[in-house]
Amino acid sequence: MFSLSRRAFALGASATALAACNPSSGGSEENFVNIYSARHYDADRLLYNAFEETTGIAVRVLPANAEQLLERLRAEGDATEADLVVAADAGNLWRIKDAGLLQNVTTPALEAGVPTRLRDPDGAYWGFTKRARVIVYRKDAVRPEEVASYDNLADARFRNQIVMRSSTNVYQLSTLSSRIERLGAENARAWAAGVRANFVRDPQGSDTDQIKAVAAGEAQATVCNHYYYFRLQQSDDPADREIVDKVGLVFPDQAGAGTHINISGAGVTLHAKRREKAVQLLEYLVSDAAQAMLAPLNVEYPIRPEIAPAPGLAALGTFKEEEIPLDALGRHQAEAARIFEEVGWR
Amino acid sequence: MSTSDTLPVSNTRALRLDGVALAAALATLVCAAPVVVVLLLAAFGSGQGVTFGANLTRDGAIGTFTLMLAGGGGAIVFGAGAAWLVSLCKFPGRGVFEWLLVIPLAAPSYVLAYSYTSLTWAGGLIPYRIEGFWGAAFIYAVGLYPYVYLAARAAFVSQSSCAIEAARMLGAKPLSVFWRVALPLARPGIAAGGALACMEIAADYGAAQHFGLTTLSTAIFRAWYAHGSSQAALQIAAVLLVAAVAFLIIERYARGRAAFGGGSSRWRPLPRYELGPIAGGAAAVFCIALIILGAVAPLAWLARLALLHANVEDVIGPFVNSVLLSAGGALLTLVLAAAIAVAARRMGAMGKTSMVAASIGYAAPGAVIAMGMLALFAMAREAGWVGGFGTGVALIALFWTYAARFASAGVQPIDAGLARLSRGLDASARTLGAGPWRRFLRVDLPIAAPSLAAAALILFVEILKELPATLILRPFDFDTLAVKASTYASDERLLEAATPALLIFVAGLLPILLLTRGIAKTRAGAHE
Repeated sequence: MFSLSRRAFALGASATALAACNPSSGGSEENFVNIYSARHYDADRLLYNAFEETTGIAVRVLPANAEQLLERLRAEGDATEADLVVAADAGNLWRIKDAGLLQNVTTPALEAGVPTRLRDPDGAYWGFTKRARVIVYRKDAVRPEEVASYDNLADARFRNQIVMRSSTNVYQLSTLSSRIERLGAENARAWAAGVRANFVRDPQGSDTDQIKAVAAGEAQATVCNHYYYFRLQQSDDPADREIVDKVGLVFPDQAGAGTHINISGAGVTLHAKRREKAVQLLEYLVSDAAQAMLAPLNVEYPIRPEIAPAPGLAALGTFKEEEIPLDALGRHQAEAARIFEEVGWR
Repeated sequence: MSTSDTLPVSNTRALRLDGVALAAALATLVCAAPVVVVLLLAAFGSGQGVTFGANLTRDGAIGTFTLMLAGGGGAIVFGAGAAWLVSLCKFPGRGVFEWLLVIPLAAPSYVLAYSYTSLTWAGGLIPYRIEGFWGAAFIYAVGLYPYVYLAARAAFVSQSSCAIEAARMLGAKPLSVFWRVALPLARPGIAAGGALACMEIAADYGAAQHFGLTTLSTAIFRAWYAHGSSQAALQIAAVLLVAAVAFLIIERYARGRAAFGGGSSRWRPLPRYELGPIAGGAAAVFCIALIILGAVAPLAWLARLALLHANVEDVIGPFVNSVLLSAGGALLTLVLAAAIAVAARRMGAMGKTSMVAASIGYAAPGAVIAMGMLALFAMAREAGWVGGFGTGVALIALFWTYAARFASAGVQPIDAGLARLSRGLDASARTLGAGPWRRFLRVDLPIAAPSLAAAALILFVEILKELPATLILRPFDFDTLAVKASTYASDERLLEAATPALLIFVAGLLPILLLTRGIAKTRAGAHE
């Protein structure tokens, strides 16, 4: 046993030595840009690879949760190695901006590339893809017109028929924030309380788990990001593909304010050491080339209406988007969290 | 049981400062520093708290406590039961179960939760849903029982056969021997294992969050993520840490002053009870069920998913990173833990205090310790001691965080190992004029060697499974298996997450098998 522990010591020592001479500590070759990313898609890597090929600038990524990246940026202060922050929700981007960790950037290419509503008014962050918060319902139990609006989910018609994911999730917070922006806190609360009353079980699991519950007949409807539906449709698991046959997808509120949409976006860090390269990458993200690549890979919507979405998405047709300034999603987030807490939507 | 060979600890000894004591003090300081920073930030930090933090804290405390009762209780029953069966009984398959029962140790709770969800929720293979409170309790019980099993097994194996034989000769039946002799003797081990399992539950975020439960841990993240208040998160974390201190003190008190030095230094093979066909069959079914529920079923399901979408090339780098980080982290933490455990034996109250202080981090989610670490880094940066958070600094921060988070997982087994060292031996060495370092190197270390090896292996596996701290503090382009699995899972790509999750299992398996072998050999005179 003692000999074993000696071997363990030797292994540990060599491990430390190896880790210490990790080559990626920068230094000699300065031609790179560092990203803190809260998006974890393989598609993003392909996109960065394309950027590397066209510009020769290497892209180094540190993926983690938005909140954790914010905490790290805060601690690092002006010593940060991060040049660009990428996050998958306007609320999260707003939070990083609010903490004073982003710098304002405005260039003609960015202004031409991103519609005004889908970026920060000061230029702290810029959207580069869109996602829609759709309603998925069980085909054999619900007619599409019964779930034509988010409001329907609070109807008594759906008592014990709704599943939702936890309110801790930023997509839920943003959905409620958009209602606070449009209808006021009182109306938003009434809606959340109504939906809460219709739950068939306490929130648990992911967006995908909610879709599966609907398909399995455990509930009649849920709210999710549109691409989760497509992922199931294109899954390598045959069990996933069967699920999609049992459910329908609705873009809510087409007769009213439009479907709630959110963005993935990016902003240059306040203390970026490679500001020009970061801006270059930002511009690349909203360029036609990148948009054409991202849309089909990730089944997200391109940031500009004139760029064609992925074939599967195009088949769903166009839809009316809710038109609120997206920084509202961040501004109302704390209040949304409080409302969820108060109505017992865990 | 023999407490007779416990020498009274003199008070002067508690205060003498020797090299070992200094090393222990330094080790304690290192392990406790990030925790202390968290407590200070919670108390004096600026920033907005959450107005209804009190509700969150109350609900979280209730949630954590009930989960500890159900999940931790289950882990203790399963772990201690299985340990007793394979240590003191004879039944078909015993020799194989002895090894296999440890395997669930390699599975992180979050991986078990995701695997079981996909296996049993809508569209899954099994119609019985693992969900909600009982779902989480189930995951903890079948996933964490190996902590109790290992500690209890070590305790059963090292028990003096004399006590058991004496009880048998006095006519005690097997169950009676279990309740009245073996169990009381193994109590310190079971308590230590149970404490580890309960602290794992307190610190767990992934599984509790997945099942929609409010615990202190999920409340921390709710305050931090949903309410955007890291200050409130730190305050709830402080409550959790203070509760952990209380828990540790209660646990040590419950273990009592009992110092179970071996009653005799003459070891003979343990007498094993031959179980009848029905009892033996039941014992085998019990062990098989634990192995299937804790490892085989979730593993097989992950393997199926991984086969549907294999991404082996993606995970080679993370695999190497994981092994390197775990080995380095385990080594560093082991050294610190050994110093603390030895000091706790030698230095009376002060040693015990440093043991508790170094153990608190185990009850905190890794993300909280990482926040403390980031704050330490920020202070060091403002003082001009370090520059940016480059690769070197990031790795130091990571290793340091691992030590703060997992010292307890190293200290506990080493302490349990040292508990077998009769105090007479230390006294003899002192009488013969051996200084503190000499006693440490020539007496304590050799005797604690098996438990040191066990601690090293447990630490390796713990760090392998660790997620949030690694996620926050790692260098650029430095993914680990846990990070890879989590980024895919958080993106709801379970198929892609399956390969790295499976590899965490695989990488943890070898050390775990070494661990069981080590315990089987611990007992001098053990054969088979």
